[in-house]
Amino acid sequence: MSESLGGETRIDTVLIANRGEIALRIMRTARAMGLRTVAVFTHADRDAPHVRAADDAVEVSSYLDIDEIATAASEHGAQLVHPGYGFLSERAAFARELEGTPGLILVGPSAAVMDAMGKKDAAREIAITAGVPVVPSYANDADPGTFAYPVLVKAAAGGGGKGMRIVRSQGELAPSIAAAKREALSAFGDDTILIEKYVERGRHIEVQVLADHFGNVVHLFERDCSTQRRHQKVLEEAPAPTITDAQRELVTSSAVALARAVDYTNAGTVEFLLDSTTGEVYFLEMNTRLQVEHPVTEEVVRVRGERIDLVEQQLLVAAGKPLDFTQDDVSLEGHAIEARIYAEDSFGGFLPQAGRADLVRWGDDARVDHALESGQVVSTSFDPMLGKVIAWGEDREAARARLIRALDHSAVLGLTTNMGFVRALADRDEFRDATIDTAWLDRAEVAPPEAAIPLRLAAWVDAVLASPRFAADPGDPFAPDGWRSAGPKAPVLVALEHAGAVHELQVDIAASTIDGQPVRERVFANHEVALTIDGQDERAVVNAQPHGVEVSWHGQRFVFDRPDAFADHGPAAGDGTLVAPMPGTVLDVLVAVGQQVTEGETLGAMEAMKMELALKAPFAGTVTEVNVAAGQQVVLGASLIVVTAADA
Amino acid sequence: MRDLVAELRERLALVRQGGSESARLKHTDRGKLLVRDRVDRLLDPGSPFLELSPLAATGMYGAAGQDNAVPAAGIVTGIGRVQGREVVVVANDATVKGGTYYPLTVKKHLRAQAIASDNHLPCIYLVDSGGAFLPMQDDVFPDREHFGRIFFNQANLSGRGIPQIASVMGSCTAGGAYVPAMSDESVIVKNQGTIFLGGPPLVKAATGEVVTAEDLGGGDVHARTSGVVDHLADDDAHALRIVRSIVATLPNEKLGRPPGPVEEPHQPPESLYDVVPTDTRTPYDVREVIRRIVDGSRMHEFKKLYGETLVTCFAKIHGYDVGIIANNGILFSESALKGAHFIELCNQRGIPLVFLQNITGFMVGREYENRGIARDGAKLVTAVACSVVPKFTVVIGGSFGAGNYGMCGRAYDPRFLWMWPNARISVMGGEQAASVLAAVRTDLEDEEQVEAFKAPIREQYETQGSPYYSTARLWDDGIIDPADTRRVLGMGLAIAAHAPVPAPNYGIFRM
Repeated sequence: MSESLGGETRIDTVLIANRGEIALRIMRTARAMGLRTVAVFTHADRDAPHVRAADDAVEVSSYLDIDEIATAASEHGAQLVHPGYGFLSERAAFARELEGTPGLILVGPSAAVMDAMGKKDAAREIAITAGVPVVPSYANDADPGTFAYPVLVKAAAGGGGKGMRIVRSQGELAPSIAAAKREALSAFGDDTILIEKYVERGRHIEVQVLADHFGNVVHLFERDCSTQRRHQKVLEEAPAPTITDAQRELVTSSAVALARAVDYTNAGTVEFLLDSTTGEVYFLEMNTRLQVEHPVTEEVVRVRGERIDLVEQQLLVAAGKPLDFTQDDVSLEGHAIEARIYAEDSFGGFLPQAGRADLVRWGDDARVDHALESGQVVSTSFDPMLGKVIAWGEDREAARARLIRALDHSAVLGLTTNMGFVRALADRDEFRDATIDTAWLDRAEVAPPEAAIPLRLAAWVDAVLASPRFAADPGDPFAPDGWRSAGPKAPVLVALEHAGAVHELQVDIAASTIDGQPVRERVFANHEVALTIDGQDERAVVNAQPHGVEVSWHGQRFVFDRPDAFADHGPAAGDGTLVAPMPGTVLDVLVAVGQQVTEGETLGAMEAMKMELALKAPFAGTVTEVNVAAGQQVVLGASLIVVTAADA
Repeated sequence: MRDLVAELRERLALVRQGGSESARLKHTDRGKLLVRDRVDRLLDPGSPFLELSPLAATGMYGAAGQDNAVPAAGIVTGIGRVQGREVVVVANDATVKGGTYYPLTVKKHLRAQAIASDNHLPCIYLVDSGGAFLPMQDDVFPDREHFGRIFFNQANLSGRGIPQIASVMGSCTAGGAYVPAMSDESVIVKNQGTIFLGGPPLVKAATGEVVTAEDLGGGDVHARTSGVVDHLADDDAHALRIVRSIVATLPNEKLGRPPGPVEEPHQPPESLYDVVPTDTRTPYDVREVIRRIVDGSRMHEFKKLYGETLVTCFAKIHGYDVGIIANNGILFSESALKGAHFIELCNQRGIPLVFLQNITGFMVGREYENRGIARDGAKLVTAVACSVVPKFTVVIGGSFGAGNYGMCGRAYDPRFLWMWPNARISVMGGEQAASVLAAVRTDLEDEEQVEAFKAPIREQYETQGSPYYSTARLWDDGIIDPADTRRVLGMGLAIAAHAPVPAPNYGIFRM
């Protein structure tokens, strides 16, 4: 392939200025094309999978360091530099640096295009000129009394929801603009603000375009990324499930027109907002890079019946090759849905998670683009996305079923991810019926999966691992089979703690029951267990350790601890009399009779043997006696303060 | 045999329930676990439990199922694994007469301590007892092998480095208070366990002081104020977790298991039911039993052609080397000499001995007496008595007369003695005893009178020769299902492997 890439300059090496799954994704295609790959990495990433996957790797101080990365590309023989997404991918300065370095080509559009499309106000003007529909907007100096509320206030240079405000009344407008400006200035260094119509119920539609250096522009149909949480995409699909033929025609032709208008080259994405109420479509922005969700397009688009590799097309275009197909060659087949897997606790306030992914499994029924392997340490210093699970089906329902199945067969243990959340989401009627708009997740509650089934799976695994099947010494007369000399075999008792409660389950392996429910074991190997419990097929990935059992069920990580005999069992509801543990002097009394106190509250202090001692309430209750005053000398065992328990 | 095993299971099922339904309900309503549920939670998940003499006290204080019955003598004892090591468990059943100590309760408790002593096993006491059963205080309190011996043993076991651990899960009154107090480390369950030398009624009677049980000796008092216990638990399950944690801190002195894979016998254990005739008088080849017990059904027979009524062989059970001595008929001089020789061999080599006892006695008659069968029998008895390797006895048939001695009966301190449900034990057969007694009577005039005299004697021997009569009195460690023989012996061997074997030193062999 390097042969075919060779023009005036021979092209045989690509540097990937990125990390994680996208770096691996790009290397996969580059290698298939016969290209040498050069990775860059920071010190923290020195053992990362993308470093090992590359033919050559260069340490840089930051993935954002333009100089170092350009130098690395030159010094390590690269002609092409693929920026992936994020990091430098939409930095015009980076594009400009490469454009100014002989022998280096950015896999992406020119710096000029990035400049043009990078600012929302400029992009909007270009779109209007190109005849692309845009959201009605208001001039910053227009009379706020004439606005049709709600309106959206946003930073011109923005992205990712930063600097965005929904304003529902005229009174809120001025402070919202001020706040948006502050945020925009600190995030993007530019406080230009746009005010436009706010669409309450909208779907996010985006069109994939591809353009070469010879004026050829094609679209590869659209994606729908409406399932978002605070503007972060969660589930993405292609084609859009609710779009009409007319809407599709409008968005795809608009996208191509826009690309042509700016002399766009390489892969790009034009984003639209589809107003669910009116059916109107508005241009939002153009992303001048490969998107995270590009695989759903690859899964459904066919060029003369063959699948397309967007990275391959990007590299060919960058190498100066013309597109070898036209719009007429492009068709759709089936439906694809992608779930993004993040290191976050979706059911615990979406807090970012860090830690060691002890055990990682990916279902083999779907495409998985990831860079997470068992034992890998995930830190919060980078984007929390660990990978993407992409399922294809003949139709949307088939794709959805396959995605759920793939997530059921995947697991990340040791680290909490949103896998259970996206699985629950994909299973929701609203997603099935494609009624989710871009703000739905910010309104709706997605219930976490219940622990009852995973508890049973954990108990079964624990009991089987303790049984003679896994005994180190099968001839041991004390083999752990529950044998009783004076009766039938005893079931194995498994005690596991979850959410503050100890659950005790009786597992009878010989009778094949859990708490009396019939169980049929279908799979038990290599951390995977599949049981039929009371007629219901269940499957999980389980990691049983001395301190507890972790289960991934329906994608959700459950941590079951073994009860700790010496964990704090709370203060005993014993005598509420605080006595002097030593002879000494009372320093302070902080409470009076009749006062309500909480458990552990400091009621006073005394000094004895040169130590100051806090007198703390042994439990919540009422102070019923105060027998001392500050400064008073007390003897050993003197009753100082008496607390009567709240429930006594 | 299958009928006998079915009867055994029925009797065990009844005893496993413990006290009356109302007593059990009262117990569980207070948030307490039943005694066997406590044992299940104390042991490692899936750990087997070798319960000792579950049918103790059967019919001794009342017929089974009656109000005055004391199932299992009101105490569960046995050996199981906690944190991977074998321990002796002694657990009161408070649903049976409030867990009070009947004479056989004491005997069973002491027997468990003796096993701990012989085999160096830690003792775990799950205490829930009102103390001595006062109406029978004369058979419980004063003698050498009575209540006080429990604490004597605790002190001496502890002194020998055998850990003593108690968990107080109910009353622990009077003498019982010394169980936790004499332990190395102890736990009490909050609002449930109480420890006092004298309970509230006694305190009121003695000093007039009115005090609640909790204030007198509850968990908070003993964990925070008196220091009688070391750990305070929220409930039974928590207490048992603490006990498990204590065991985890004990230094591990477990000896390794013999290496190599273990081959099961070539016939299933249940085939033993068909090998052994139910009538002890019907002869059969005891090798058929041995082959169903030993690894790979392999036996290295010693002196096969000499003294053929006693089979001696080397074999392995669960990987442990054993020397097996099994009756295959009546004992003659040659069989006795062969047995003595074999015991010496095993002691020389440090190989544990297994006696499969099915013996009506030594041969009698002028010829044998004149040739000195007593002299040869004495050699066998001396060898058995002075043997220092662990000995295990299974009564698989009859156990009569001096045969009981030569084949390591209870008096010869086998580490464990188990009975099959078909076993019979008495000084001689009922018929022989009746005949002997009839013969020394001069006032029996005709056959009818002789028969009338002999019938009750036969009946007495029939009753007293029953394994249930034996096990009720703790002449053994329990009646076992013959199919469990290999397992039980394997466990016994594993247990015995904890204690070192001293050098043998025999008494005079009469030559």
